[in-house]
This record gives sequence, C-alpha cells and structure tokens, in this order.
Amino acid sequence: MAKRNNPSSALLPTPPLLITESKDAYDQICHAIKQEIAPMGAVEQIYCEELAYLTWEILRLRRCKVDVINTEFRNALADLLKRLLQEPGPYDVRVGDEADRLAYAWFSDKDVKKYVAEILRRFQLDESTITAQAMRESIEDLEKFDRLLASAEWRREKALRCTADYRGDFAEQLRKSSNRFIDGKVVTLEHTDRKSSAA
Amino acid sequence: MASKRQIAANRRNARKSAGPRSAAGKRRASQNTYRHGLSGNIGRAERAAQVETLARMIAGDTTDAMILDFARTAAEAELDLRRIRQIKVACIEHMLAFGESNDPDPVTEVRDIVRFLKTGILPEPVDALATMPQEEPARSAEAVRRALPQLLKLDRYERRAAARRNRSITIIGRRQ
Repeated sequence: MAKRNNPSSALLPTPPLLITESKDAYDQICHAIKQEIAPMGAVEQIYCEELAYLTWEILRLRRCKVDVINTEFRNALADLLKRLLQEPGPYDVRVGDEADRLAYAWFSDKDVKKYVAEILRRFQLDESTITAQAMRESIEDLEKFDRLLASAEWRREKALRCTADYRGDFAEQLRKSSNRFIDGKVVTLEHTDRKSSAA
Repeated sequence: MASKRQIAANRRNARKSAGPRSAAGKRRASQNTYRHGLSGNIGRAERAAQVETLARMIAGDTTDAMILDFARTAAEAELDLRRIRQIKVACIEHMLAFGESNDPDPVTEVRDIVRFLKTGILPEPVDALATMPQEEPARSAEAVRRALPQLLKLDRYERRAAARRNRSITIIGRRQ
C-alpha cells in the first residue's frame, strides 16, 4: 500500500539551508510538523517536508524583509533630514553633510537621537516617519518580497489542502474497503470457517 | 507573414535536410529539447532511476498503469522541486560570496560610455562585495535582496512543479 512507504532520506534529502541558517532550528520545525500530522506513507511524508520547507521559507523572507527596511533606515533618516534642515532659498551644501552626520550618530548617540526627535517634532513628525521613508526607499524590493511571500503562503495552503484531501481519499478508501469486508467478505469467511469445521 | 507558396517551399526544402552533419551542429541539436536545466548535471539514467524509485513509493504496490503514470509525473515534479530549491539557495550564497550575480560590467551607464568615447578611460568597476553589509543578519538579507530577480524567476518554476505534483497526487488519491 502506498501509505506505508516512506521516501528514503537519500532520495529526498533535507532542503539545503543557507550557511548562516541553523539546521537545528529547521529540524525543530520539521519535527513539530511531523508530530502534528503523523504522516503515513510517502505522499504524506512529502507534504510534511513541503510544509516544513515553506514555513522555513516564509520565516526567511519575513526576516529578510524586516532587515532590508532596517538596513535602509540610515539612508532614509539622512534623506529626511536633508529635506527638513534645508531652509527656503538656495540649496545649502552643508545641510547634506550635517544630515549624514546626524543619521550616522543617531544609532549610538542619545543626544543626537533627542535632537533628531526635536527636528521631527517641529514638522509634526516622529520616528515612524523614518520607518515610512525607509519603506518608501526600498519599496521595489519589498514588493518583490511580498510576491515571494504570497506565493510561499499560497503553496503552503495548497499543501495543507492536498494533505487533507489525500487523507480524505484515504479515509474514504478505508471506509469502502471496510464496507466491502462487512458486506461480502465476512460471509465468505463464515463459509470458509464452516467448510474447514465440516472437514 | 509567409505566403502559402513560401511555406510549401520551406517544407520542401526542409524535407531535403538530413539533419545536422557537423559535430557542432549535432551538439547544438542535442540540446533542442533542453528546457530549463533543472534536472542538473546528473545523468539521464540516474535521474530515471530516482524518478522510478520515488514513483514506486508514491504508487505503492499497485499494478494500475494509470496510477503508476501519475506517480511518475508526481515523482518527477517532486525531484524538480528539490532541485529548484537547491538552485535558490545557491543563488543567495553566490550573492553572499560575490555580492552580485555576474562579473561587473564597468560600462553600463550612458554617461560612462560617452566618457569612454571622449577620453578612452574606463570607469573603475564597483566592487559589489565591498557594498555588502559586514554583519549578520543584514548581510544575508542583502544577499537575498540582490538575488530577488532570480528568486522570482525560480518561484515560477517552483509553483508549476508543485502544481504538477499536487494534480498527480490528487488523481492518484481518487483512483486508489
């Protein structure tokens, strides 16, 4: 029966992970999913691994998305300050240098952080504006991340549905064979028993 | 658009061809059915054996030819999926190691080309690796970000392979 076969690990090895990723963490996800679903046979095993892989990929993409925004934070702050510090009139080149300096020091210097908050407040803005600017500057990449995320989430849903369908079919198949057994085979068994007892 | 006479002439001429004759032509023609190379560099026989083994596991001990056929399709798609995932990780790791997917081309901007034509001086190539963040997790995130165009292309293959496998398994489930 197909349900009892498990694909060997040599045939379907663990999906490759990035060198910076933890195999233990991946195995934990895999183990938790297998414990939850208790796969029977090759097909369910394949779907379990698919779910583990897609869960891992979704986590990876979400993490990267946040990191991409964080990486853009300094540039975003510098760009924002350049616009806020620029007074009306001809463009002042020194404003750019000052904005870069403040954006660099913002991460480590508390006084600079306070000063930047003050500048932002003057224009009725706050730190969320910096996040918004960082997202704006990386919007093209974020959109690509979202497409990949949507695709992975859709495939995960599909894998879950397929597992349920397959199980449903399996359950239906068991029900049918059980019915066949009850309707016909029992009688045959009784005949067999009678024959053997008569002999 | 070609006229009916031209099409007929083309067909007549094509019938005269005995196929590629030179070694280079034969080599090129041998790649005619090459689609995406996702089967990798493993031999056809080895790949066929892998497909057959996995198909047997999916189909179980059935003798139904139809189920076996769908099991083969499912197995092939599953192995394609594994391969695509390897390639995805390889793309990201390539970015981690080199910072970009190809050799840097120093002359891509119009202003650089104009400058080169005027002065004959090529601009200094940008060291893509130097522009990568040094610390984790920002470095990995940047590598994934730079690999996004390739990841999106591979995602299309992945979706198709997954759909092929799911369809076959659904049919197997209903027939068993």
